[in-house]
Amino acid sequence: MSSRTWLHDMNPALKFILVIVSMLTLAWFFNPWTPFLVFVGVILIQLSFSRINWKVWSLFMIPIGFSALGYLWTTVLFAADTSGNVIWVWRGIEVTDQQWHTALSLAFRVFAFSSLSLLFALTTNPVKFVMSLMQQLRLSPKLAYGVMVGYQFLPVVKEEFIQIRHAHRLRGIGQEKYAWQRLLSMRRILIPLLASAVRRAERSAFAMEARGLTGERRSIYYEPLHIGGRDWLLAIILIFVLIASSVAGFLLS
Amino acid sequence: MDNASTISVSSPVVDFKEVTFQFLEDNSPVFTNISFSIHAGERVVLYGPSGCGKSTLLYLMNRLYPANCDGELSGSVALFHKDASSYAAGEINRRIATVFQDPETQFCMPTVEQEMAFTLENLHINREEMEQRITTTLDLTGLSAFRHSVIQTLSGGMKQRLATACALLIEPQVLLLDEPLAHLDPLTAHQYVEWLNALQLSSDFTVVVVEHRLDLWGSFFNRALHVKNSGVFSIEANPTRSPIQFPSRTSTVQDVVALEAQNISVNIDGNRLLSNISLSLRKGEIAVLAGPNGSGKSTLLKTICGILKKTDGQFKSGRTIPGYVPQSPEHLFVTNDVGQEISFSNHANADEISDIMHSLRLLEIQDAHPFAISHGQKRRVAIGAMIADQRPVLLLDEPTSGQDSEVLIELFHLIDSMAKEGFTVLIVTHDMAFAAAIADTVFLLNNGELTGRYENEQLWQQTELLKTHHLLPPIGAASYV
Repeated sequence: MSSRTWLHDMNPALKFILVIVSMLTLAWFFNPWTPFLVFVGVILIQLSFSRINWKVWSLFMIPIGFSALGYLWTTVLFAADTSGNVIWVWRGIEVTDQQWHTALSLAFRVFAFSSLSLLFALTTNPVKFVMSLMQQLRLSPKLAYGVMVGYQFLPVVKEEFIQIRHAHRLRGIGQEKYAWQRLLSMRRILIPLLASAVRRAERSAFAMEARGLTGERRSIYYEPLHIGGRDWLLAIILIFVLIASSVAGFLLS
Repeated sequence: MDNASTISVSSPVVDFKEVTFQFLEDNSPVFTNISFSIHAGERVVLYGPSGCGKSTLLYLMNRLYPANCDGELSGSVALFHKDASSYAAGEINRRIATVFQDPETQFCMPTVEQEMAFTLENLHINREEMEQRITTTLDLTGLSAFRHSVIQTLSGGMKQRLATACALLIEPQVLLLDEPLAHLDPLTAHQYVEWLNALQLSSDFTVVVVEHRLDLWGSFFNRALHVKNSGVFSIEANPTRSPIQFPSRTSTVQDVVALEAQNISVNIDGNRLLSNISLSLRKGEIAVLAGPNGSGKSTLLKTICGILKKTDGQFKSGRTIPGYVPQSPEHLFVTNDVGQEISFSNHANADEISDIMHSLRLLEIQDAHPFAISHGQKRRVAIGAMIADQRPVLLLDEPTSGQDSEVLIELFHLIDSMAKEGFTVLIVTHDMAFAAAIADTVFLLNNGELTGRYENEQLWQQTELLKTHHLLPPIGAASYV
């Protein structure tokens, strides 16, 4: 069971690179099998090495499933390339095997890409990710801590958004009958929200600088992040899934 | 000890000689030819009203200015006998640490320990020493129990202590504090000053504070420097101030009920925020609602004026619902100039509007953008907008927080004159000196329940009762040293 925490403990920068590399590789394959096998492989990896909440995963997959279906039927019906053998005719619409092939490939590609993104998103702590980008990929501390401050701001900004909306409710704004009117009145919330965000950003920048952040690279970390043997093992597994799917896809089509 | 302190007192750690500073976008300098010096081991306050440029002085001392602004500096600013401009970026921040006003904007990491490590990483301190410095500083500041706490879950007072702890981590020779009490309630502020007093006694750093309310500090300081625009700052030894003296007022309560709440309860997302609250306010009455943070004060105000839905109970408030002015009055603003802001809702006729503009002194700013005026003016505009909405009961959320004495006295007169005109005012405040001066009645709230209604004079002797509500009696400045 302990292997179920591996993906969560994996070095975020390495995981990030692997996901990016997998996506770029997938972009070169136009057969339906490779993306399908990657999709299945990623799910198997998550099943064995992570403790993600599958309910959340399924919720994310619902809209993705719809867009995949959308790709499927639009490609089947409206594809520019109509070569190949006709395999199916319905009310004058002819579907060729070539079209069907491309459509399936596109739909599975959507699934493969999103399952890779979810593999990363659902097992990675954003704070650790930024720290790892700074330590492993030499992201500038100026940028890294800028992102960190922004991340800490999110709940504060949300709270302020609620406060402003409450105050506006008193003046009869945000209660309009139609959705488009309410949408227009949002700009009235955005101005005070942005104004205070700018003020707050300046104060934060001053506080960081007064505490000695000069933007130069740091030499010692309090919580150093390393890439260990287990990280490489997971990397090898993912690369194996990728290569196996590519080869299988090539052979099967 | 005596020898050491006399030697250190004689050497200035901060020395301003004939300094002139101007922002390029301004027409006149903030300071012309000012001179003052601060010696090692002193507790100095830079004292002056809001907007006199005190914070600018502080930023010149830690080199945030002129490096980070379009400003022109002449004269000499010497830090530790060396010209300020001769220090490399970040170098001076190893010796001079700063704590800022707003406890919300000083942190970038999730937990206390990581936040402290951030400072030490900036200084390239090695791993073992980091560990040891964090442990010592946490011990020193009494924050050891919070080492792994998430910063966002701490109270404002604890955040301000943490900001101070992060400053002390670098073992600074000078600690600068920029109105550190502005966002704290009086009891928390009082505890913070006591805490800082003990820290300074044990670690012996120089303390420089920018402040406009000396009364909160008791006898903490050795010297006050009176900040002005030009010349040599005058010095006051062992400065103390008694709490602000408000004028006395006569009650204007009329025997007509303006608002009555019966058994009000509020549940939001399954949490009971208010339970069974009954209160009644009369015409011309000024009432104060007080209680600890998170006790439901703002929720009660928002429920009374209809922003939040009540789960149970009922209100009787005549024809119109009460008006509400949030802690940040600009949250109410929806137009681009003050005049439109007042007439926005179309409930008042032209005569009434010009009356309001006149009595709240808004005529001279009627074309200004409501976001570009001072805080006191913003509050007057918000109150004006509520009056123009024909709302006879006004609810003010924390109007006293972070205000200097001038603004507080202005606020006192404003509320008093509104009560004279027959308005009913309910104020949420932590400032009991203000409450004692202005209120006819005080309501105490704790854990979403109304714990009592008190006539103004009766409440202040009950120190224990006040303490359980995180309040401080209005009189009695504490003494230090």
